[in-house]
Amino acid sequence: METIAFYSYKGGVGRSLLLANTARFLAALGKGVVALDFDFEAPGLHYKLGHTARRESRLEGGAVPYLVATARDATSPPPLEEHMAEVPVPPDSGGWLRLMPAGQAPDRAYWALLKQLGEQVRFDDPSGRGLMPLLDLHGRIREELKPDYLLIDTRTGVTELGGLATTILADTVVCMFVANQESLEGTLMVAEALKAAPRLKGQRPIRVVPVLTRTTSEPPTENPFADGLKRLLALAQQGDKKKPKLLELPHDAAYGALGWIVADEPTDDALSPLDKAHLGLFRELFPLPAHAPRKR
Amino acid sequence: MSTDLLNTLVTGAIWRAEQLEEQGVGSVPLAWAEVSSLEEKLATALPASQPEGRIARRGAVRAALRAGNFSRAQALTERFLAEKEATQTLRAALRQLLEEDASALAGRFHHATKTVNEARSLARWLQEGGAFGLAA
Repeated sequence: METIAFYSYKGGVGRSLLLANTARFLAALGKGVVALDFDFEAPGLHYKLGHTARRESRLEGGAVPYLVATARDATSPPPLEEHMAEVPVPPDSGGWLRLMPAGQAPDRAYWALLKQLGEQVRFDDPSGRGLMPLLDLHGRIREELKPDYLLIDTRTGVTELGGLATTILADTVVCMFVANQESLEGTLMVAEALKAAPRLKGQRPIRVVPVLTRTTSEPPTENPFADGLKRLLALAQQGDKKKPKLLELPHDAAYGALGWIVADEPTDDALSPLDKAHLGLFRELFPLPAHAPRKR
Repeated sequence: MSTDLLNTLVTGAIWRAEQLEEQGVGSVPLAWAEVSSLEEKLATALPASQPEGRIARRGAVRAALRAGNFSRAQALTERFLAEKEATQTLRAALRQLLEEDASALAGRFHHATKTVNEARSLARWLQEGGAFGLAA
């Protein structure tokens, strides 16, 4: 199982959408995928994967109720299936996609549970009681569900859970940022911290994949922003023989949250520039056999 | 405070903590913290070469663990292990208390059993450096 965390120092970069599309793309290629929403303070991955707060499509359980139940009971954590939902994938793909949402956000009951979690679980508890449920959840997904990929939507900015999901759980961190200095400098700072963070036994060094999003033109080549980009790419290359290239996703104001679905054969005309950029990014991230991803 | 009085107080405190635990009262950790504090006073008054001193040292660490205060249990253990009078039996018993606590934790989390010690060192890293280790 490869764990890929999607991170952004600033919000509004299209992180959850890219994760959802990556999950669908991989499942359509026959892979087993688990998508995990760790953006507890602003969860929305369930919307991107077709589950809204509407009664007919609402989910039970999720990561927050799972962790609260784990903290409350002295026995082993609850069954995973109570906290996950199947997301439909093309039936002939051979792949599967399961979502563990953060919870039933935006219901008030969800925020009450999140408050409880904050009161009951301290990730920095030196006994390890706060971290063990997270490490156990990661191990359970790997051993019980045996997916090829675990994709984690992390919290924006500098937060404990965002830090843990990226530094300790992830093999690869997709760092998304926009073309301004504050976004880039924050991303650089976090990317440096990721490279310096401790790892568990047997884990390889973190792979950092920078992705510039919402671009409207070519990124500048000579100014502080360009210098920062060079530093970020150099960091991404650390420990990697392959020279990383800057992955870019164009701005698309009309792009719908559920607009890109892998199904049917698309014509090139049916793909928007952002669709094409997503596909290019997937091919860069996942060197899989040649395949024509499809669009409904 | 005399050791006789401390012994009386610690006996009462243990009884109280056990009763609260049995009834599932929320203040149990506080009760065990009190036990640990009294046992520590006894350990200060009685050398590790005496049986009562060894009992007090084990009691202070065990009660700290039952109070959920792992940092304190670890600090007390390190302090007691550093004492010249500490016997090999006492040292082994103190280490075993921490190992039992790790085993109990590992027993709850079957998919992370091998990572308890790593989880503890990561928690310390997080405590010292905050998110991403950026505050270190």
